[in-house]
Amino acid sequence: MDGAAGTALLLAAAAMVGLRGGGMLLAGTLRPDHPFIRWAAAVSQAVLAAFVVLAVIAPAGGLAGVPLPARLAALGTGLLVHTRSGGRLLPSLGAGLAALLLARAVL
Amino acid sequence: MRPGLLTALGAPAVAMGATFLAFGAAVREAGLPLPWALGASLLIYGMPGQLVLLQFAAGGNGAAAPAVLGAVAANARFLPMAVALTPWLGGGRWARFLALPFIAITPWAAAMQALPGLAPPARLPWFLGFALASWSLAGVATAAGHALMPLLDPALLAALLFANPLYFALLLAAGMGVPASRRAVVAGALAAPVGLLLPPAWTLLGAGLLGGTVAFLLGRRGEDGRG
Repeated sequence: MDGAAGTALLLAAAAMVGLRGGGMLLAGTLRPDHPFIRWAAAVSQAVLAAFVVLAVIAPAGGLAGVPLPARLAALGTGLLVHTRSGGRLLPSLGAGLAALLLARAVL
Repeated sequence: MRPGLLTALGAPAVAMGATFLAFGAAVREAGLPLPWALGASLLIYGMPGQLVLLQFAAGGNGAAAPAVLGAVAANARFLPMAVALTPWLGGGRWARFLALPFIAITPWAAAMQALPGLAPPARLPWFLGFALASWSLAGVATAAGHALMPLLDPALLAALLFANPLYFALLLAAGMGVPASRRAVVAGALAAPVGLLLPPAWTLLGAGLLGGTVAFLLGRRGEDGRG
């Protein structure tokens, strides 16, 4: 394994322990309805929502080669099936990915 | 542990399996070996940070510090996620630290939905069952992606890469009935374009901090107005 790549991996892994452990230590004495916990939960959910939006409107890597309408079609189809199926995840996921493949082939 | 493990083997397994399969393939494409791919998947265990690190490692520019800081920034959400999750884990003061390596988006999102509905003694076993299944799957899928990369066509790879965002979108949609969640999701989505104004490593964290803080403050203002 390349030395710099291996060093970066180990340092980043140690930093992840710091992030997760720091959060757990910080939360150890707080109740779930504490304002700080509620703020942290809101930030986490907002990060997740931003992650989804960025993956659709400004993706990096292999997804960047997929046309925007295909990404929107996949998201829209997945959410539509999710709503219509009473919140079933697996069919919604399958339908969304099938829509992506279909739209990518057509566009 | 069994209920959590079984939950993890449904839709989360498909989403995570697809994403880690794609990551393993990308590592192989970058010319890095399987141990590096497995180390990144199992020790970092957060795809944005993994991708930042891979970008650095593939470039081979020799300086580790920017890559580590970039990965930390990309995965900095682990801190607020751990803060939010820990009170729900139950268990003893130290037993709950068994959950530490597994705090990542998929187990966190599933746990935040499931744990409040479980009796406190059942919460940590549920999380560990879910987390161990997801984590093991991540390792297996990474190895498979690394091995199968030469056989994957670009369309399939793109679909695999989209599985994770789509899965998270579905999880978020499931929580939209709760006002606090709805506020956070909408504010985070609206803040995403603002995050694009920041350096790439800070885009996600910046958008989340902005959107989450606005959502939290709006919720507090609503409570004050009623109170």
